[in-house]
Amino acid sequence: MNSATGRAGIIRARDDAGSMDKLAHSVLDDVLFNIVSDLLMKTHREEKTARATTAAIRVEKLASDASESSTPDSGPDVRIETDAAIYEDGKVLLKGNPLKTTTDILCPRCHLPRLLYPTDGKGARKPDPTIVYCKKHPFIEKPGCDIYGQSWVGPGPGRGKKKKDMDKKDGADGTPEQRPPNVLSFPSATCSKCKRCILVTRLNNHMGSCIGNSGRNASRAAAQRINGGGSQNEPTPPPSQKATPTPTSRAQSPRKRDVSDDDDDDSETSHKKKKLKPSQTKKVILKTKPPLKKDKIKSSSLSQEQKADYDVPSPKVLNKIKSKAESPIKKLKVTKPTIASPMSKNGRDIDGESESSGTLSSPPASRH
Amino acid sequence: MATRPTTPASPKNAKIKSPSPGCPVFGCEHVQILLCQSQEVMNSSIAHYKMILRGIFDTTPILSQTSTNQEGRPVTSLTSNYLCLQCPVTLSEDDRLKHGTEKLHRFYVDSRTGALYCQICDDLVWDPTLEELRVRKIGTGTFSTNRKRKHDELFAESSKEDPRIISANTTVASCRASGLRGIYNAGATCYQNVVLQSFLHNPLLRNFYLSDGHQSSECSISHCLSCAMDDMFQDFYALESTNGYTAANILSGFWISEKKAFENLVTTKEQDAHEFFQFLAEELHERNGDGKRPQSGSEHTCNCIIHQTFYGKMQTTTTCQNCHNSTHAVQSFLDLSLGVDTLAQRRAKKTGQKLPALTLGDCLDEEYVKSDKCEYRCHKCASIQQARRHTSIKRLPNVLSIQLKRFEFKQGKHDRAASKIDNPVSFPLQLNMLPYTNRARNRDSRENLELERSCTYDLLSVVVHVGEIETGHYVSYCRVGDQWFKFNDHKVELARVSDVLGAQAYLLFYIIRSLA
Repeated sequence: MNSATGRAGIIRARDDAGSMDKLAHSVLDDVLFNIVSDLLMKTHREEKTARATTAAIRVEKLASDASESSTPDSGPDVRIETDAAIYEDGKVLLKGNPLKTTTDILCPRCHLPRLLYPTDGKGARKPDPTIVYCKKHPFIEKPGCDIYGQSWVGPGPGRGKKKKDMDKKDGADGTPEQRPPNVLSFPSATCSKCKRCILVTRLNNHMGSCIGNSGRNASRAAAQRINGGGSQNEPTPPPSQKATPTPTSRAQSPRKRDVSDDDDDDSETSHKKKKLKPSQTKKVILKTKPPLKKDKIKSSSLSQEQKADYDVPSPKVLNKIKSKAESPIKKLKVTKPTIASPMSKNGRDIDGESESSGTLSSPPASRH
Repeated sequence: MATRPTTPASPKNAKIKSPSPGCPVFGCEHVQILLCQSQEVMNSSIAHYKMILRGIFDTTPILSQTSTNQEGRPVTSLTSNYLCLQCPVTLSEDDRLKHGTEKLHRFYVDSRTGALYCQICDDLVWDPTLEELRVRKIGTGTFSTNRKRKHDELFAESSKEDPRIISANTTVASCRASGLRGIYNAGATCYQNVVLQSFLHNPLLRNFYLSDGHQSSECSISHCLSCAMDDMFQDFYALESTNGYTAANILSGFWISEKKAFENLVTTKEQDAHEFFQFLAEELHERNGDGKRPQSGSEHTCNCIIHQTFYGKMQTTTTCQNCHNSTHAVQSFLDLSLGVDTLAQRRAKKTGQKLPALTLGDCLDEEYVKSDKCEYRCHKCASIQQARRHTSIKRLPNVLSIQLKRFEFKQGKHDRAASKIDNPVSFPLQLNMLPYTNRARNRDSRENLELERSCTYDLLSVVVHVGEIETGHYVSYCRVGDQWFKFNDHKVELARVSDVLGAQAYLLFYIIRSLA
């Protein structure tokens, strides 16, 4: 072989190159040729088989239309001929090359024409609106979209732990008209245990705490066991979040969230709370627990009652102490006369767990 | 269909593929003329085509790549030659037309692929009968439908059934339902999603679940993970929805499961996809199999779908260096865990590169070709002796799962520090596992091609971990037909082969070729 290149003729040695050089070039060129021809052959096979199938489906359809016999077992006893195929004796025979005789492709399953180009993104073409196409469309290649041309509302929700994210998300759900139809939002799913509807992005967290004994509550309980175990005599940590004795930033954030969360059931729970509260506080006083720090909401709500019944430091003093650490106290001070949302929260806890009253009580006692 | 003969008229007579709806009987008019001349011509044509295919795929390519030129000298070509179907001659493309005009021979077989060329059409022709032979030859190495693999009946059976029974008892899914959907991230569950996607696009598991292998309607176990899988397969392959899937049942089954998948499991933490793979495989085995917990290290066999799909056996041979007595231990494996760390360090020292590139072959060599020394109590010598230990694969699974151990725990004095090994490990689309089996050593070179074919795997899916060890993200690539897709939680995108092969693989799933 003395030519400067192989079959493809793309990789070409210089004319004055040595024979080994030429050989190397022509080998590489041949290999390239083989790669291209393999790819071509694969596509050719797919395409030609699909066209042959299309020709067969067409002629079979004509045959079954032409014959009135409704016996599904035997094929229609007719001879039909189209440009691409012949139907005879229940057999389909090709006429000519299907690549030339047949221009479109019918889906072998639903017998509807296939859409040959994607509707969006790379290589997109407008489909003919008058044709009902097979539902299997070419996949879309477009940045920011998936293979169906879909995209999703912002990555924010669910990513952070902030409830705000979720609220925004819900708002977006409520007004789907503003979004184009192919922009999807994250769905919700039902927890198999508590049957509550949870946004999918929070599902794992929820199930962890609902089914598996894990998540926030579990870790809080563990923290309680470690931190408070020595000073307090309670063998089991209280399950409620409120019970956390230390006003760390960790303890505060969930509280904030709950305040906004529980707004809807305020009225109901606040009534219960009113009834329960006096007895609870009395019990607390009698016990006179060792001093402990309290956190904001607990202190403010309890302090109101203490002011009324007993001679204890005024809430103002308490608030001063607190205000160093956090701003929400001010808000609480303002709303003092009426029963604010924090109260409802306490109420709910008391309902659920008698034990929590013990821990609840400890903060006010500590001030003595 | 009624006219279809149920038994072959004579085993010697070749016959064309029986007509089926939507498929022409012949590849072109000219093939039709050839095969319809007489039974004799048909027999000889098909027999000759089979012989040519055997020559192409079972022997050295030199033979079919060599033709004789005008001066009678042999010429070997890298590009395709053409083997005449009607006489035993090999021609170059240039000589093909001349031969056709002289001898009126019109059909030629491509010497590299076995594809049929019709000179009158001047095109390649995909004849249903001949093409089936070619595909089977490439796939299994044999023309007969009685395949060798043990569990293949499971997958071949349905085609033998009467199409009327099938159509009466099944529902046809919409053409839109392609099984290509994302799975929503339920909060740091991408490690589950990638494993679920690789299960969903595993043809063996798909066929099992879609053929009612485990019917969720007939299962009484509450929160059964196999039922959750069944439901998921139905949703992926029967529904038109292209939206992401919410794997709520999988997730709750996972949380409810008696044995915890991970130690000190915390919801919000990211977990290891490989551990989840093991958990899911064991859980599905328990639901579908003999219910026994697979004991690690034992030669556990079971007929459940998980064992048929993933489990293989490996053999460890320990040879005493004193008396050369060997002992064998066989155990079944779900996956091959390949160390990357030591190899990477050794390579780094050698080459001076910071992150030297490795290949999957390097890692496999390390575990299943090389032997190591160990202390061992020899029965014959009745004393502790130095021994050589060699591990090889005794039985290859249908789906080979490989874990590249990119995550290492370094034991410190006070705490364990986990680190991730970022070395690129290249892996092939097509993997030959023969060198790592126990047949590799005592093979006859003639059987080589046949054996190699039965040990050839194709890449099916790749699980990739991006980011740091503590916080990262899993994505996966799965192949459907010849197209690759990238699954990033709910988002499914087209992927190029180069994207797949360039990814930093953590888990690799290869499927045996004879099934693919």
